[in-house]
Amino acid sequence: MLYEKKDIILHVEDLSIAYGDKVIIQNVSMMEHDVVREGKVQGQTIAVLGRSGRGKSTLFRGITGLVAAKSGRVIIPDYSKAVTDGLQPAKLVAEGDVGFVDQKYTLFRHKTILDALLFSMRNTNLSGKEKLEKAMSYLVEWGLENVKHQYPNELSGGQRQRVAIIEQLLSSGHYLVLDEPFSGLDVGNIKNAKASFDLIECAHELNTIIFSTHDIELAVELADSIYIVGYPKKPEGGLDTIGTIVAHFDLKKMGIAWRDGFDADHLELTNEIKRVMLES
Amino acid sequence: MKLKKWFKPFESLSKRDDLLIRSIWFLVIVGYWFVATSGIKKLFPSPDQVWKGFAALYSEGLVVHIGSSLWLCLQATLISIIFSLIVAYSYPIPFLRPLPKLLSRLRYLPLTGITFYLTILVADARSMQVWVLVVFMSLYFITSLMAVIKDIPEEEIDHARSLKCSRWEILWEVIIKGRMDYVIDVLRQNLAITWMMLVTVESILIAAGGLGVLIKNSDKFMNHGRIVALQIVILLVGLAIDYSLTTLRKSVFRYSKFN
Ligand SMILES: Nc1ncnc2c1ncn2[C@@H]1O[C@H](COP(=O)(O)OP(=O)(O)OP(=O)(O)O)[C@@H](O)[C@H]1O
Ligand SMILES: [Mg+2]
Repeated sequence: MLYEKKDIILHVEDLSIAYGDKVIIQNVSMMEHDVVREGKVQGQTIAVLGRSGRGKSTLFRGITGLVAAKSGRVIIPDYSKAVTDGLQPAKLVAEGDVGFVDQKYTLFRHKTILDALLFSMRNTNLSGKEKLEKAMSYLVEWGLENVKHQYPNELSGGQRQRVAIIEQLLSSGHYLVLDEPFSGLDVGNIKNAKASFDLIECAHELNTIIFSTHDIELAVELADSIYIVGYPKKPEGGLDTIGTIVAHFDLKKMGIAWRDGFDADHLELTNEIKRVMLES
Repeated sequence: MKLKKWFKPFESLSKRDDLLIRSIWFLVIVGYWFVATSGIKKLFPSPDQVWKGFAALYSEGLVVHIGSSLWLCLQATLISIIFSLIVAYSYPIPFLRPLPKLLSRLRYLPLTGITFYLTILVADARSMQVWVLVVFMSLYFITSLMAVIKDIPEEEIDHARSLKCSRWEILWEVIIKGRMDYVIDVLRQNLAITWMMLVTVESILIAAGGLGVLIKNSDKFMNHGRIVALQIVILLVGLAIDYSLTTLRKSVFRYSKFN
């Protein structure tokens, strides 16, 4: 399982976020590279785990530029600029750069599925016909063709989720942040969502999914990099009350990424992660 | 067996049973009306008196009066909803926010104070009627519209932001277009207040006619049958508008599924 790290695709630098005076997360640092595997288009899948209220959603709002950082920064490559001296120019993340699907699969309530997809391409320079073709091809591929003229409140949860994902794929390009994409889904939905992950991963080398979940097994099976958000231990004992990254597992380095299904190595890691989470 | 179900809390019944229950209530009330007013001494006019009152009203041009009231209502509603929408949509803009907030609080001002100033400002009585209505309706509209805007969950705003919407685009897509159906519902919900005010306001100007004038006239004659007939007419017209607004909302905005 050979792979090679290339450009940095996400760099979170000493990030802290506060709501009002209340600091929710601090000193968060993450670094992810574009991974290249021979003979395969391989995107990146990053999972963020952590106990409830530790700040996963808050971190995601930071990464997507929806909330301003109190300190630190989030840097992503700027693909609108040409490579200079072998380096991809980078930029600070701004709202809209990174696609974000929240836990409720929020959509425009007054737009049909097709209209919503066309809307998310409004800033591209495709012609009207090209936009329609592109939207239709996604609708067919994701099994939404016969509901394309329906409004969000006429869809099931799983259908809404897929629309929310496609919207973001059409609008923001390579990055997709999903907050608890598996919560409230049944076995079939989860299988579909996993298939969606595969679709995204194989579509482009730079495609990167960042997701949170409370299902540790699923995270271990799907992700190639796992971050744990939790409360760090204080030197004098006890736990701090501000979230941060307390552990990072690089499944690529551990040699257990991209396997088919869940195996014994994955189980071992799952138990390790459980232990870390319980202590943070 | 079946009757037991009718008294079981939270039980949902078939459409037929539902209709049956409603008919029973209707018959009970109408029946009570007939029986209770059949004696010689009575507080409430008998159906017969009400029917005579209705016939008298009709021959005095009830339809024209209803038309006049509806026309006044329509004029005032259009002006005030446009004004209220502009004010309410300024709510998300920090610098303008105090405006809708202040106007919404002004609804606690007493009616008389405002009519006093309006008489100074507006010369002819008909515009006076319109403006009194506009002022009052607007204050209530602004309050309700502001509540609609405040209730929009942050996720909907964030969703638009994550799709690269500019702030003005969010205002347009999420607040204005995305809540258009609520505007109709705000109209409907405040209709009762408007309708009640309308009748009061109409008695300012007798010559212009309207349901309010008819009420005032009937008051003078102490004609109970007429008053009740009129009240029933006003109630029914109000309910008809209520119903049409709901139907309009649901047919124009298919996604508008609330109540
Ligand atoms: N808008 C806000 N204002 C103030 N505090 C907030 C706000 N949003 C979240 N918090 C607080 O931030 C902390 C982290 O919340 P966050 O939603 O990021 O947790 P989470 O890890 O996503 O939890 P869960 O797994 O339950 O979704 C919580 O203590 C919460 O009370
Ligand atoms: Mg969360």
